[in-house]
Amino acid sequence: MAKRLAAYVVVLFAATLINFVIPRLIPGDPIRVVIARLEMRGRQGFSEDLVLQYTHMFGLDKDLFTQFTNYMTQMLRGNLGLSISWFPSSVQEVIGRALPWTLYLMFTSVIISWVIGNVLGAIIGWQRDSKLARAILPAALVLGTIPYYMLAISLAFFFAYTIPLFPATGSSSIGIIWHGISLGYIADLIWHSVLPVLSIVISSVGWWMMSMKAMIANVLGEDYIMLARAKGMKTSVILRKYALRNALLPQVTGLAMTIGQTMSGALLTEVVFAYPGLGWLLYNAITNLDYPVIQGVVLLIIFTISTAVLLMDLLYPIIDPRIRYGEK
Amino acid sequence: MVRFLEALRKRSGFANELLRNRKILAGIVIFLGMSLISVAGSYLAPYNPMRLGTFPPEMPPSFPAHILGTDSIGRDLLFLLFISILNSLQIGLAVAGFGTIFGLLVGLISAYSGGFTDSALSTVTDIALVVPMLPVLILVSSMIRVVEISTMILILIIFSWAWTSRTIRAQTLSLKERDFVYMAKLSGMGRFEIVFREITPNMISYVGVNFFGTCFWAITAEAGLSFLGLGPQTTTTLGNMLYWAQNYSSIYKGLWWAWATPIVAISVILVALYLVNIGLDEVANPKLARQRL
Repeated sequence: MAKRLAAYVVVLFAATLINFVIPRLIPGDPIRVVIARLEMRGRQGFSEDLVLQYTHMFGLDKDLFTQFTNYMTQMLRGNLGLSISWFPSSVQEVIGRALPWTLYLMFTSVIISWVIGNVLGAIIGWQRDSKLARAILPAALVLGTIPYYMLAISLAFFFAYTIPLFPATGSSSIGIIWHGISLGYIADLIWHSVLPVLSIVISSVGWWMMSMKAMIANVLGEDYIMLARAKGMKTSVILRKYALRNALLPQVTGLAMTIGQTMSGALLTEVVFAYPGLGWLLYNAITNLDYPVIQGVVLLIIFTISTAVLLMDLLYPIIDPRIRYGEK
Repeated sequence: MVRFLEALRKRSGFANELLRNRKILAGIVIFLGMSLISVAGSYLAPYNPMRLGTFPPEMPPSFPAHILGTDSIGRDLLFLLFISILNSLQIGLAVAGFGTIFGLLVGLISAYSGGFTDSALSTVTDIALVVPMLPVLILVSSMIRVVEISTMILILIIFSWAWTSRTIRAQTLSLKERDFVYMAKLSGMGRFEIVFREITPNMISYVGVNFFGTCFWAITAEAGLSFLGLGPQTTTTLGNMLYWAQNYSSIYKGLWWAWATPIVAISVILVALYLVNIGLDEVANPKLARQRL
């Protein structure tokens, strides 16, 4: 357990260290580089004084060790610096505006695909040779290998361009103003999130289905199922009370393992639909060479996913008493 | 093609067993077919397919001039596709090759040395497995501007070996205690010899699964990074094509050929790799094959 915690700390430290070291390995004065970029975009009037002033302001005239301690204290305070393309907003403000949308997309789609995937997986695992199983399996296989955002592009083309059932971009209609939570506003939000959520659900549902199917197949081989059958229990009761219960446990913990993948997928899907979450923010930051925002978003994602994995690891032995750390 | 595979089949028992599995055969045929067509196609190109404005932009597919149409900056998509497929496959194979070898070595060393070396290497592996890959790759490749394909390959290799290393380590630990290894020890074989002549050959199918798995991962990762605009800039890959299609909003201009071309190509490659992988899994674990996943 201590090993897990240590690994967690090391991951976070390594991520922040990379963030500190790599920009400093690149030759050239960062202030001048940024100013050159801004001048390329047509902003004028940067004097030599300003360069010196900024160099002092960002602490780049101090030695590396002081720079590093400064950087770490700012980081621990949650201060990620100023955004270049959304100046004068700070990075944490920009991220704060985007984060809820990504969380909303992720949670909705993870819950939907988890439920559908487990139900389908249980049915298929229970009746392995049924027509339904034969029809679903190859489809799930193909859909599961295609990256989220590629599915998103196809969905956008068919259901937003060819048949305009759903909006193509954004998270809410232009012109709808925030009057507090109203039914119309919520409906509008949901309407805008249908396609992004659908693309994540379609490409991740197969994974849940396959693992549930394997899990059920495993459980069905156990002695207590045999006993239940011999006792003459109803099939539906065996499935519900014995097989599902035991098969669901690993599926719950499986959530932690897929959270990273789902988040990465959600990021790219947002780009397709110009959905104003972290992915869209990241895409725009990359296009505008807004390094503070890129680093802030990436660090936040690494932090979130690592924490989620750690929490799941800690919860694992509590949910499933058969698993104990350090007793192998 | 078929005759070549037939010849290969007769040549060795193991290859025979592998190719008898229909999933592996189908996957390899698709994979080789695509690469051969792309190699031939990219040599047949009568002009530099990368040059902007060679043709009128946004032309729909037409036979025989532009079978896949042209993109928004006036390039013929068919020839662009050939080069992209080759580059993406090159990235996938190079990363898979080096990443698998590296992972294999780390796994073997870790399992065979035990003690401090083992726990140090295992910890590093565990950490590499916990870190979410795409964000880290975004961080690294946004700071080191990826210009060449080789830079992309290098970055991906660094993050590609952990899964291989973990499975190889576990497998080695279980093989280490088998009777044939004791026999080899008793007959006076050195450690090095045992590892490479007794243990590694017994893990060939695992190495294979990891190779194709890493290849799958590398192609997906490259596509994702390039889609965000962090891909190689001097040439084109499948992810790059998708980036330009997205950038010129080809979805909402109805230019379906611009985005469907790279998506179909990537999907076919990934499905082929996946088929090979589950096929290998079935051959390696005959129990699974009986369940018919």
